[in-house]
Amino acid sequence: MSALFERLRVAGGPAIAVVLYVLLFLVYASREASAFSVFGITNLLNDTVVLAVATAGLTLVVLAGEFDLSGIGVIAIANVVVATTSTGSAGWIGALVAVLAIGAVVGLLNGWLVAGLGLQSLAATIGTMIACEGVALMILAAPGGEVADVIANGLTGDIGGVLPVAAVIIAGVLVLWFLFARTRAGIGIYAVGSDENAARLSGVNARRTKLVAFVLSGMAYGLAGYLLSAETGSGDPRASNTFLLFMYAAVAIGGTSLMGGRGGVLGSVFGAGILTVMQKMLFALGAASFYTNVFSGMIMLIAIFVGNISTFLPRLQRRRAA
Amino acid sequence: MSAPSSVLEVPVLEVRGIAKRYGATVALSDVSFVLNPGEVCGLLGENGAGKSTLVKALSGVVVPDAGELFLGGAAYRPRDRNEARRQGVATAFQELSLVTTLSVAVNLFLPDPAVNRAGLVAWRRLEQEAARVLAAHGIGDIDPAIPVGELPLGQRQRLEIVRAMFRRPRLLLLDEPTAALSDREWLFDLVGNTVAGGTAVLYISHKLDEIRRLCRRCVILRNGRKVLDRTVADMSDDEIFRNMAGRSVVERFVAAPSAVRPEAAPALRASHLLGEGVEDISFAVMPGEILGVAGLEGHGQSRLFKSLVGLHPLRGGRLELAGVTRTLRPARSPRAARAAGLVLVPEERKSEAIFNDLTTIANISLPMIERASSLHFLNRRRERALVERVIEDVDLPGHFLPLGIAALSGGNQQKAVLARALVARARCLLLFDPTRGVDVGAKQSIYRMMRAFVRDGGAILFYSTELDELVHLCDRCLVLYRNRVAGELQGAALSQELLLSLAAGQATRDAPGLAGPVAGPV
Repeated sequence: MSALFERLRVAGGPAIAVVLYVLLFLVYASREASAFSVFGITNLLNDTVVLAVATAGLTLVVLAGEFDLSGIGVIAIANVVVATTSTGSAGWIGALVAVLAIGAVVGLLNGWLVAGLGLQSLAATIGTMIACEGVALMILAAPGGEVADVIANGLTGDIGGVLPVAAVIIAGVLVLWFLFARTRAGIGIYAVGSDENAARLSGVNARRTKLVAFVLSGMAYGLAGYLLSAETGSGDPRASNTFLLFMYAAVAIGGTSLMGGRGGVLGSVFGAGILTVMQKMLFALGAASFYTNVFSGMIMLIAIFVGNISTFLPRLQRRRAA
Repeated sequence: MSAPSSVLEVPVLEVRGIAKRYGATVALSDVSFVLNPGEVCGLLGENGAGKSTLVKALSGVVVPDAGELFLGGAAYRPRDRNEARRQGVATAFQELSLVTTLSVAVNLFLPDPAVNRAGLVAWRRLEQEAARVLAAHGIGDIDPAIPVGELPLGQRQRLEIVRAMFRRPRLLLLDEPTAALSDREWLFDLVGNTVAGGTAVLYISHKLDEIRRLCRRCVILRNGRKVLDRTVADMSDDEIFRNMAGRSVVERFVAAPSAVRPEAAPALRASHLLGEGVEDISFAVMPGEILGVAGLEGHGQSRLFKSLVGLHPLRGGRLELAGVTRTLRPARSPRAARAAGLVLVPEERKSEAIFNDLTTIANISLPMIERASSLHFLNRRRERALVERVIEDVDLPGHFLPLGIAALSGGNQQKAVLARALVARARCLLLFDPTRGVDVGAKQSIYRMMRAFVRDGGAILFYSTELDELVHLCDRCLVLYRNRVAGELQGAALSQELLLSLAAGQATRDAPGLAGPVAGPV
């Protein structure tokens, strides 16, 4: 029993995020009759899935102890690529392969700059973010383009009237995460993010580990851009501009330490869910839109504060017992 | 080349003329020795003698600048930890290389825990395997599932040792393996088992009794050079300590009469200081006195110095500064301490003392900058006058003042740091290893400055890793061992050999010529 508790705690314990999510959802549901219907849930998850997938990617880099701001650049490129190519001969599959490849290439570039050349990740990824946004504008200078119906309808609907496609995607990302966390590379990411020097002395290849984190996160951003295209049905090189801080907020709310080594994707996905359901809740309550940000900020502070208490408490108790 | 006639004749490790320097500091210079199968060889030396650098070079953490390594007769040039590990070189590091947020089991098998066919790590199997390995090494009280960060330091050290040992390496490096270990017999048994299987062990320790117990032979390093490689049983303790301490030819000390003013009130009196890593330390420094502090790395000296100026929290104890009638509850900040005349010259010059991007003069005048300013605007001429008064005391040439301090040599940087302490009109200086990494000329300047400072009635608390400095500059010397004052030496008893044996926890308190530990306020 206590071993199970320990493992939960070590795994990052997104319990606070789950509790907050349920609370906010219940408030939302009390004002919104359709909240529990398949239609309502599909709607909510469709609004969540882009941020959730992008945040899942960011979490990998944060766990490895680095920053990554390039996400919104990759999402922008992926969005305009889907909007300009998906109706062509390559189809939805060609566009999907393209955005994943683009994400991997940007991740490889980030990884090379940070792990290979030893540049500070904050500065290096600001550079790649700006460059990517420029590339997105080169591909599509103004909002427009067209997303193939098979993407726009297929990813935003439900399966057999019971299961939202977005739920399947989120579940898929989580399954991939739980598998990855059990691989050597996954463990290496925790080791490097927690204490790079000790990890290196233990024989972990810190460079390769960080490279893997950046590449996988780049691919997640690419997928997020694909999903964004499905939601909006068109291309907009600036659509992702507001995402960056929300991605970091979701990671923090989900209990992942921005210093690296602690946390996980499950918490981040719930963090993204909290930010989304909160907007819905405030809208349902009829609050003016500028309250949303005030509330987002407060939720984030509460989550971080409570999250820290739960890591400090056991330590304090032990000290008192000693 | 003819094939060796017997496997046993091929040494496990041969080190040939290895050298490593960090900037201007020579860490290792032309070190050569041989390790045979089934042999435990001790590696001895003072702090900074090059032991850790040698361990890092053998472990693939640093790449030596010159020289060659041979492992089992074949050239051995590890570029990283993993390569060294694959070739059968395992290391238990002094600073412990465990990742505190990961579980005991994962740490034990890093970087390549066993995976199933799908490439996934099976936690339960890994933990069972870890429990088995730990039990085989006599550890039954560590739960493999808990994160290493929740283990006490002694347990972590045991884990670090087991991790290096359990894969039966060809060469095992143990760097200060007993620093946090309470049960040394446990380790001795394991080392015995390991060498029985033909592993060669390089055993780094300050503790002579361990070396005598485990090693037939020992290598002594001093200032990065090998000074001795001999059978342990042939040497007396004294001989070993003398070889470790040595005395470099170039450094000469000019004898000076003591400037202690015994009739005055103590310049600084600490009574029963108590905090994490500071165990009931009491002492008093008189005006005109240089009170030395000796101790091997990690015996509380750094925390003691920091706690005196409020950089390390104390739970209890009192700190009094003479001339100031009020009693400082252990100073709350370096700023408060400075205002009371107590100034720390810290350990890490680069990160704690200098402002790398400022000019030398700005580095010196910083604490007194209000005095050179009228209406909050800096008056360059007044600043210059203020600084020029003190740079003579430390022999810092005036033409360095407008230069960026980063352009200066380590010695001149240290002089500037000392000048800053003087500019602040300190009455009591806390010097933490002020001559580390500075050239011989700068050392002499620092010695002169210290002497002049106490002659004018100042008081100095002086920690140094160089024992001959302590012997020749100090009026008295405290020796720290395990965060406590293990003894106090003065007069004829203040010798390098006694300092070292006290610092290694060797000599007992009632050894001849020893004053007991200072108990209570003096």
